[in-house]
Amino acid sequence: METYQIYSLTSAVLFVIGIGGVFITRHFIKKIIATMIMGGGVFLSFVSFAERDALTFADPVPHALVITGIVVAVASAAFALALARRIYQQTGDISFSNDK
Amino acid sequence: MTHLPTSSFPALLVGLPILLATLSLFFGSKGRAVVGLAGSLLTTALSLIAIAEVTRRGTVIHILGGWDPPLGILLRIDPLAAVFIGMLALVGVFISLYAWWYFRVREADTGGLPQFWPLWLFLWAGMNGLFLSNDLFNLFVTLEVVGISAVALAVLSGKTTALTAGLRYLLAAITGSMAYLFGVALIYGSTGTLDISLLGQVLEPGATTTFALLVITLGLMIKMAGFPFHFWLPPAHSAALAPVSALLSALVVKGAFYILLRLWMEVFGVSLTYAAGQLIGVAGAVAVIWGSWQAFMQTSLKLIVAHSSVAQLGYLLMVFPLLILAPGVTTDSADWLSPAWTAGIYQVISHAFAKASFFLSAGIIIMALGHDRIESLRNLVGNMRITAMAIGLAGVSLIGLPPSGGFMAKWMLLKGIFLSGQWWWAPVVLTGSLLTAGYVFMLLRLAFAPAREMDTFRPVPKSLEVVALLLAIGSFLIVFPADFLIQFLESSAVFGSGIEPIMEGGEYGNN
Amino acid sequence: MSLIIDGLLAILAIYLALQSLLAPRLTQSVFLFFAFGLALALAWIRLAAVDVAITEAAIAAGFLGVLFLDALRDFAPRIPAKNEAVQKQYSKSQTKSLFLPRLTLWAGLGLFLLIALEAVWKIPEGGGLTAAAGTLLPESGVENPVTAVLLNFRAYDTWLEMGVILIGLLAVFAAGGKMAYRKPGVASQDPLLRQVILFFTPVLFLFGAFLLYIGKTGPGGAFQAGVLWGAIGILLHLGGWPFIALMPRWLGQLLLTVGLGFFLVLGFLFMAAGGALFEYPPAYAGILILIIETLAAISIAAALSAIFALLNQIGEEADEIESTT
Repeated sequence: METYQIYSLTSAVLFVIGIGGVFITRHFIKKIIATMIMGGGVFLSFVSFAERDALTFADPVPHALVITGIVVAVASAAFALALARRIYQQTGDISFSNDK
Repeated sequence: MTHLPTSSFPALLVGLPILLATLSLFFGSKGRAVVGLAGSLLTTALSLIAIAEVTRRGTVIHILGGWDPPLGILLRIDPLAAVFIGMLALVGVFISLYAWWYFRVREADTGGLPQFWPLWLFLWAGMNGLFLSNDLFNLFVTLEVVGISAVALAVLSGKTTALTAGLRYLLAAITGSMAYLFGVALIYGSTGTLDISLLGQVLEPGATTTFALLVITLGLMIKMAGFPFHFWLPPAHSAALAPVSALLSALVVKGAFYILLRLWMEVFGVSLTYAAGQLIGVAGAVAVIWGSWQAFMQTSLKLIVAHSSVAQLGYLLMVFPLLILAPGVTTDSADWLSPAWTAGIYQVISHAFAKASFFLSAGIIIMALGHDRIESLRNLVGNMRITAMAIGLAGVSLIGLPPSGGFMAKWMLLKGIFLSGQWWWAPVVLTGSLLTAGYVFMLLRLAFAPAREMDTFRPVPKSLEVVALLLAIGSFLIVFPADFLIQFLESSAVFGSGIEPIMEGGEYGNN
Repeated sequence: MSLIIDGLLAILAIYLALQSLLAPRLTQSVFLFFAFGLALALAWIRLAAVDVAITEAAIAAGFLGVLFLDALRDFAPRIPAKNEAVQKQYSKSQTKSLFLPRLTLWAGLGLFLLIALEAVWKIPEGGGLTAAAGTLLPESGVENPVTAVLLNFRAYDTWLEMGVILIGLLAVFAAGGKMAYRKPGVASQDPLLRQVILFFTPVLFLFGAFLLYIGKTGPGGAFQAGVLWGAIGILLHLGGWPFIALMPRWLGQLLLTVGLGFFLVLGFLFMAAGGALFEYPPAYAGILILIIETLAAISIAAALSAIFALLNQIGEEADEIESTT
């Protein structure tokens, strides 16, 4: 097993933990954390492939994509956090009440 | 693809709305509305000029930064992208006009909502970028531009229902994007390219490709509210302000569908099986029946219209099984491909016009009544003739009665279904239309019913009603350029083509 | 040996991710997520992605961690009785009738995990774009290949992403309803906090500038610098100097939009001169990229500190509501 494979397998596990967490957890904050864990998995897979494809330096394209992706994910998470806090402030709810 | 003629239009179509959105931030509430409306008109004009250029020169491209793919990013307007950009421009400009008057009327109780215009222009730029993009990762970024600005618009009213629906929408959108991006990571890892045209040539079937197809389809289905991921759509679309509901339902969900169509047709041909097409068709069929039935059961106008979107998007998914050919059938012998494509395109366009008109009319009714419970629609015809007419026309187009654009879509879909021999989809199309007719005629019956004293209609600016009516009429007028449109689309490489699955059974069936 | 380190790090990341979702208390969740971010940053370093590691530590763990911590003020301490009651209610209803659906769900997730693992295990060698990037690197104007991809080869993505940050700020504004950006009240009276802030402001500024400049040749660049400068804004806000609210409106807007705007206008100018959007003449590419990065870092810093300030304000409003009721 090579280094990149450890991390690419980890990335799949993290992705599945995240996607499961989004649907299973109830608290808004935990759902947001779950989406970020999903994102962490996705970014880890990109970077692990970059390490595999390294020559004198690692493949810079996935690195750049991941930097872009992290910033985008954080912007969405900040917005989700703002919504969650406003909902809590207005109703006291910490989760979707009619979650099915 | 790099040999095609280059043009500045793709860059301008994304750059101009963003420049104007940025500019509008420097103004107060009134100034933003002026810049926003001017920006909408300019973007529409630019879109139409760009489409004219494509009809003249064929597909045009723009190689960003001068770096050829796969390292760089390429934008292209082919006829399929041009049609989507045109739809966005025509429906978008009407929604902008409506929003202009809507926010003026409601300035007292909303403060003019200064965030609307910059967010709408960002959304427009993001949608244009999405239609133009030929790069998998760039599509993710445009999806995020569209997704975040769409949710931000959906929560503008600040009401609790809108915020809760907005958070649900946002979480679904992020989950969808991340699932999509995981697929992109796997594809990049296995091919070393993100360019759609190149991927179509180099992608090899295998376990990785199949899984990438699965998560990308999953992510995009979540984003376009395809069954069973439709749960976020009705609350989000019904709780938003009227112009926002219109643009979310008419335009935004079409973005994810467009990507799904592109990727299935241009990238994943090697990995698709006949069964995959049937599966997504079943999801569409369930959405048609379930969404129409739910719409039929609702008692508030906006929820009816929102559930109807779930159903109408289902029709779009039902095009996919027709595009994937059974083993042994070749593209040349499959005479149903052209009707199926026409059905898909016409469903996209006619639903955009009709649904925008429907939501804008619902906004007018809420403005007049203060609420949208449908029992109060009594004597709508006597009080608001124009809006009643808009709802009637938009409804007819949603049902698919002649001579509307919706009829064209459903007729072509049935034609494709029978020519392909996949007759089992036909009852779904008919049942969906019957249920749609059910709720539309229920609304019209109320509109013609005699009034009760309790409901008084406050006056609403005529300009709002006229805009909604024009959109409804638009959903009929789009039938006239049908011949031209189909001819134009046929010059695109993807239109009219089908997928000949090289695998019959499992993933490795081709070995 | 290195395989053992990587294996342990991988297990740690998975453990932290799981625990942050399973932890009974929200505070634990947030701290475990923070630790998860740091574990990922270590993984990036192990994978020779130092640029990504700095970004992860600065934005995903750092900035987002601060936002989560700030959100805990709302969620964690207040009315625990209600939260617990709600949670109890959930756990009751879960155990009662949802056994079969949950079993299916877990089985489905397990199956999904297996095919995901198969997919990454069997991934063919695509080769990536390392060679292509290496060949064209001399023409890009910078020596760090990641910066070359971000600011030149795929500048369009980066430009759109700066748009996403601005949209994120507008969205947080929109979530606040009609609430405008208010000028908060008195400055913090805590002398220690003020001293800390006075010490850290120049340090953060210089370190940000260093990262920005070094981005041309080594790991670093606009995003990392922007976050550090944004941290200055956050610290100043916490210390009672909300500089964005205090400066004139137009200046605030200018800081927020200058990165995105300059990037685009420069692109349009070169396009008018006959090139493509974001096509720079190789001779000037280096200096143009440095200017773009500096302005981008300013805009990112302004946007991040404004996002924090707005979220912090949502919390303060909650406090006010709390104290009035």
